[in-house]
Amino acid sequence: MKKFLSILLILCMVFMFAACGGETNEGGEEGGGEAALPEVIKIGFFAPVSAPSAAADGLSSLNSAKLAVKLINENGGINGSTVELVDMDDGLDTTEAANIAEKLAYDDSVVAVVSGSYSGPTKVAAPIFQEAGKLMVSAYAVHPDVVNAGDLIFSQSFPGKLQGTAAAIYANDTLKAKKIAIISVDLDFGATQIEAFKAQLEKMGSDAEIVYEQAIAISDSDMSSAVTAAAAAGADLIYSVNYYEQAAQVLREVGQKGLDIPVLGTEGADSFELLNIAGEYANGLYITTNMNRDDQNAETQAYIENYEAEYGIQPDMVGASVYDAFQVLFAAMKEVGVDTQAMRDYIAGMQNFDTVTGTLIRYNEDGSAVKPVQIQLVTNGEYHSAGVIDDMEVIDPANYQ
Amino acid sequence: MFTQQLMNALAIGSVYALTAMGATLIYGILGILDIANAGAYLIGAYLGWYIYYGTGSIVLAFVLSIVAVGILGILIQKFIYSPILAKPNTLSIIPLVAAVGLFTMSSDLVRLICGPYSLSYNFDFGVTSIKIGPVVLVPAWILIFALTAVLLLILWIILNKTKLGLAWRATANDPEIAKVCGVNTNNAMALSYILGYGFAAAAGIMVGILYNSITPALGEVPSYKMLAIIVLGGLGNPLGTVLAGLIIGFTEVFLSAYTSIPIPKDAIAFVVLIIMLLIKPEGLLGQKNKI
Amino acid sequence: MNSSYLFSILATASIFTLLALSLNIITGYAGQAMMGIAAFFGIGAYTAAIITTHDGNFLLALLAAMIVSGVFGAVLGVISLRLQADFLAITTIGINFVMAAVFNSLKITGGTLGLTTSKPVIFGLKMNNMYFFIFTTILIVIVCLLITKMRHSWFGMALASIENDPGAARSFGINVSKYQILAFIIGTALAGLTGGIYSHRMGFISSTDFAFVVSIQIVSMCVIGGLGTLRGPIFGAVVLTVLPEVLRFADNYRELVYALLLVIMVRFMPEGLLGDDSPVWKFLVGLFRKIKPRKKTRADLIAEKAKAGEYELSGEGGQA
Repeated sequence: MKKFLSILLILCMVFMFAACGGETNEGGEEGGGEAALPEVIKIGFFAPVSAPSAAADGLSSLNSAKLAVKLINENGGINGSTVELVDMDDGLDTTEAANIAEKLAYDDSVVAVVSGSYSGPTKVAAPIFQEAGKLMVSAYAVHPDVVNAGDLIFSQSFPGKLQGTAAAIYANDTLKAKKIAIISVDLDFGATQIEAFKAQLEKMGSDAEIVYEQAIAISDSDMSSAVTAAAAAGADLIYSVNYYEQAAQVLREVGQKGLDIPVLGTEGADSFELLNIAGEYANGLYITTNMNRDDQNAETQAYIENYEAEYGIQPDMVGASVYDAFQVLFAAMKEVGVDTQAMRDYIAGMQNFDTVTGTLIRYNEDGSAVKPVQIQLVTNGEYHSAGVIDDMEVIDPANYQ
Repeated sequence: MFTQQLMNALAIGSVYALTAMGATLIYGILGILDIANAGAYLIGAYLGWYIYYGTGSIVLAFVLSIVAVGILGILIQKFIYSPILAKPNTLSIIPLVAAVGLFTMSSDLVRLICGPYSLSYNFDFGVTSIKIGPVVLVPAWILIFALTAVLLLILWIILNKTKLGLAWRATANDPEIAKVCGVNTNNAMALSYILGYGFAAAAGIMVGILYNSITPALGEVPSYKMLAIIVLGGLGNPLGTVLAGLIIGFTEVFLSAYTSIPIPKDAIAFVVLIIMLLIKPEGLLGQKNKI
Repeated sequence: MNSSYLFSILATASIFTLLALSLNIITGYAGQAMMGIAAFFGIGAYTAAIITTHDGNFLLALLAAMIVSGVFGAVLGVISLRLQADFLAITTIGINFVMAAVFNSLKITGGTLGLTTSKPVIFGLKMNNMYFFIFTTILIVIVCLLITKMRHSWFGMALASIENDPGAARSFGINVSKYQILAFIIGTALAGLTGGIYSHRMGFISSTDFAFVVSIQIVSMCVIGGLGTLRGPIFGAVVLTVLPEVLRFADNYRELVYALLLVIMVRFMPEGLLGDDSPVWKFLVGLFRKIKPRKKTRADLIAEKAKAGEYELSGEGGQA
């Protein structure tokens, strides 16, 4: 036994020395090279591609990342340099995300990273990149603390609280809801939005009351009891803070039971998957999101067209957000090269940058995006614009700290 | 609202009963907590979808998918579980690890072959809903009630009126004595797997129609929830499983309708189970009673 | 391969090794079907994280994690006395789901937002992955020494007898209940300790980190390596942590290959790759003996005697 243990210890030592040796070598290889752009610019990327429960979003993310890189290279790359994607699968596992983050963070050929993953993996990865001095743009992770890891971490999508606030304004001012039922997913995505939703109703002095509230586990597809209870409570609006699968089930319940209650959703419901699952029952759904499909902005239309041509399916919010995260990085690299600090300063100072998911007005001090909130309405099985909330009072994340 | 919730509960309870029936039949004979049964449920749902879209017949989808997945069940029993169980001193968690591996494989194969996005049956019942007084019935529910009843009837006939069923019951009671009395226990095991996996396939298609969505993650919830249900029902007792499925369905629906305690539905099934096990450690109807 | 990546993997591997060893005490040595070790891993992780986020000392937080988790483990140990194998398996699965739900809804555990921890400082060293790896490896060595000692003590013998035949153990006057509960306490306390390390190495925890799949993963590690041995869980934990990274070149097929290997392993070697009865282990031992023939140990002598006894016994049987 003792022999076995001593072997174990010796193995550990050997590993350590080998690793330390490796470190010094790598430090020596790369050195200067700040001035000129490298011939090949590598951008790190991770998404939950192999976890069956997250693979749909993972694939949308990966598809969009590949598309972004392909298009930039077809259009001459970054001032002549080719972009290469270093894509990793985190399997929706935080320990794997930590491994990947270490791998990308200390790979000197990778100049910046895009997270195409959920809150957990992104939240674990962010401080690792910050500490290593590497820039990360998170595409759609909603955890409010992701950007708090440091000044090198940006979030391309707006914070959940902002969306909840916008939803409250729309529900009160436009939909004139008086009795609201909330059905939300029991995750940070749901919790942050309903908190802000309720706070905003109170702030506005709205006379709307919350008549029913239910948090539902992400694994659950049965919405019958929640919708029945919401209807029994006399709700005149259901605020469904769910991802597309559950939002679709809420719509099916409302439709099949013949209830005449409008549903207000979130960017989580912004997917062609919802339209497929809910079918005709999707019509009449309002959502708060950042992608406006009616936007005549060339960027948006080109993305939708290219994505459909490349993959034969429609793009969704998740994919569009990833695509935009790459556009932000590309813009910075074109202007200031690949030096981390220069890129950081450029991105922090960006103003009115046109992206697929709306105009990025600027970045807040903490690194979260300031964007108008789009309201989309499903009519004839398609998302169409039904308004926009761009009051700076509302959409500036600085007001939500 | 109360009657409506009652119907909601009955529907979801039937779904649970149907889903857990396969695993119950397998436990009754082999004593394996077969998480892989949720893989059969998943594969059944996908096979059914392809058959439905290939032939346009939902009946054919049910029948062919049940048969195909049932055959898959025999293969898995013959080539994987039986050899593991044949080794002496096997701890009960070892076949469970095999089952987890098989289940993960099935989810991942489906993801790789059929893609990660959801598929929709878009099955048209002709009517959207049936109103009886204040209660609204969704046509998919009627299909579920009917299917649950028909499948249970078939099960009852097979187990109680056929020679193979007699062998099954004898083996479930005591495999050693059954063997000594000349019962072909291998046939009983094969029957368990045909029925067990066939049931799972039927449940998978049913749920696919009910929610109009199947994804590679379809089996994840049943993989553990059905364990709670079969134990609550007294491990290997088909009738107990139906009862347990309904109990879980009712508890979930009424807790979410009348309270807002933040217990997710996943946990409710297990809370009910743990409370019951502490009071009555042998399960709701005791072990291995007959249907 | 850069060193940060390597140490990240090593830190994970060492943490899961310690966790696998904790499960091994309950399932391997005492033979109790524990399927919810992640719940206790989580209790420890949250306990330690709550303490350090309130400016508590890291080492004291680890101690508290052990105690809190051990107390919960004692309750489970008492419950386990009432339940037989499969019922216990399901109950522990249930406990896992209930605890994950509790973590996800309590305010003190951060609810759905989870808890963010900062890297602790021990003896003036800011803990990074390398230090976490060294720290955990030292703990692993200590635990292994303690387990070896325990195995040769009265407690270890009692556990072995419980695992083999609780009824017989009872008739020999062994207080089965006491030792079984003790095994649960030690195992879960160790899992809690591991959780405390995990939450600080990750920097962020949320309820999904302690889901049922994690329990399954740990069970798989023990079973693949060989339950009831020391080398088994260590080997299994290292292999199953490193394998997904080795398979990274085949990102899309990783899960499939991983699951396939699991099935093949259990199908052909249910006693584990390095279990006492495994042909691989016997081969390795044989190889070792050939290179360096060693003195006959007491165990060998007993085995020889038993063999001799077997002949006599079969002889008697023939006469009857």
